[in-house]
Amino acid sequence: MAEVSLETRLGDVILKNPVVTASGTFGYGKEYADLVPLEKLGGITVKGVSPFPSHGNTPPRTGEVFAGLINSIGLQNPGLDRFMNHEDYLPFLRTVDTAVFINIWGRTIDDYVAVAAALDSESEGIAALEINISCPNIKEGGSSFGTNLTLAGKVVEAVRNATSLPLITKLSPNVTHVADFARCVVDHGSDMISVINTYPAMSIDINTRRPCVSTVAGGLSGHAIKPIAVKIVYDVARAVDVPIIGMGGIYSAEDAIEFMLAGADAVAIGTALFSDPGTPLDVIAGIKTYLESWGINDVADIVGTVLTV
Amino acid sequence: MNHSRFQEVCDVLENCNYRGDYFQITFRSRLITPGVKAGQFVHIQLPDMPHLTLRRPFSVFDASTDEGTLSVIYKVVGAGSTALAAVERGKRISLLGPLGNGFPATPIGRGIIIVAGGYGCASTYLIARGAAQPGVCLLGARNKADILVEDAFAATGFRVHISTDDGSCGHQGLVTELLDRVLTETAGASPVTYACGPNAMLDAVADMCLARDIEAYLSYDMNMCCGVGACFTCVMKRKADNADGWEYVRTCRDGPVIDAREVYREDGTT
Repeated sequence: MAEVSLETRLGDVILKNPVVTASGTFGYGKEYADLVPLEKLGGITVKGVSPFPSHGNTPPRTGEVFAGLINSIGLQNPGLDRFMNHEDYLPFLRTVDTAVFINIWGRTIDDYVAVAAALDSESEGIAALEINISCPNIKEGGSSFGTNLTLAGKVVEAVRNATSLPLITKLSPNVTHVADFARCVVDHGSDMISVINTYPAMSIDINTRRPCVSTVAGGLSGHAIKPIAVKIVYDVARAVDVPIIGMGGIYSAEDAIEFMLAGADAVAIGTALFSDPGTPLDVIAGIKTYLESWGINDVADIVGTVLTV
Repeated sequence: MNHSRFQEVCDVLENCNYRGDYFQITFRSRLITPGVKAGQFVHIQLPDMPHLTLRRPFSVFDASTDEGTLSVIYKVVGAGSTALAAVERGKRISLLGPLGNGFPATPIGRGIIIVAGGYGCASTYLIARGAAQPGVCLLGARNKADILVEDAFAATGFRVHISTDDGSCGHQGLVTELLDRVLTETAGASPVTYACGPNAMLDAVADMCLARDIEAYLSYDMNMCCGVGACFTCVMKRKADNADGWEYVRTCRDGPVIDAREVYREDGTT
């Protein structure tokens, strides 16, 4: 039997394998560099970058809940200039032999455009931009764009006009029909979709009577959201004909394969990294074993093959 | 890439009740142990608890490179530590470490003062064991039952003074009252202070040391997720050269030990 191929094509972007890290959970790569062989990953998605430095939200910023994690980090980041020039960020990522996705955000459409245009002019080592219109934890921007079809289309179109880099749009699960948003952002120039971002959630300590995060509510990730995410990937895959990066509670190869059968071309590992930084490598190995056991030579051949009749 | 931190699956050699609600767990760790500095921590994956998605960070209490062993002292306070207390000898558990910056090395010929509140003693013992010369160790707790490892500190040659809120052991009052006395006594030896304990205690230690121009290093305990600096959960304010005068730094990576001069205080002091 021929060697199984894990190579994954997301339009013009080619990954060594379909497993990437999710934005916000892997820092800027360097934080994990001596624990995870970065060059073995399909890709790294960095924490969101805005034109301005941002402190993020007041602690507490996360709370563990049953089978999940609520976070409200608030997109703390060093800002565009420092991200592009300091050795801990983009210059480091350029030395890593893997696909690098830059997650971008802003409070206004102009903010998104400013980041996209600047990265477009220094695009060496950048595989794609991931437009974050779905963060539930910031007052302006973020999910206010991702829950309004008109604004979502405007942001994506403006970013499209500012860069020739491949564009991924990361969608919120917190709308009636995610598929409508997928169609909208693809119509306005997005080359791919990533789903899902975290789900708005809240947890209260009954002794202190305080919510687990300072912003009262945050975004839920982890095991708890996986079936919701699989369903959204399935819906989006039937709505648009562009590559999909699926995420939400992936801890194992079995989880990842479920997303791929539902229609994800690639998958992202997020919260699972906190319990086991080795998760992406285990998932890669497990996908290979699964393909071998079913006599499938190309990982692309399982994408969207869920049987529904 | 040079590996300074490791993910290692470790055998549990012992997990015993230490005193009251406190436990000591000892691991066989060949990879993590040799690099451990005082004040660093390990991030422990809870076994067989997939619904608890986070590791639990614990300061390294003791580490022996010769024996390849590493131990932590922990208090049973919640679901995670309850699960850890049930772990038996022979269980294999994943550790990440050594994590955090740790305390700076003790200087030769100067006074060394350790201030530990509650189980802050766990993260400061390695300072005493590796100290350039013995100094003074001040242990504070609510009551006698919460005073831990005073014998281990004494065995390093450090003079140990104890305070308890209820007077059940040593001085009745705050450990910082002992510190005030010790700082006065040792002023001529240009001492360095190393502290770990509740945040209010650390604030008081910082105030006293800064007022006397004495170097002080404080180890902070914040809720953590990743433990390696990636998620930005465990941030605290540090002075910074920007418009606000502060920035959020990651306790797990930029700390947990912060120079008292760099801690940004909301009330504008220091």
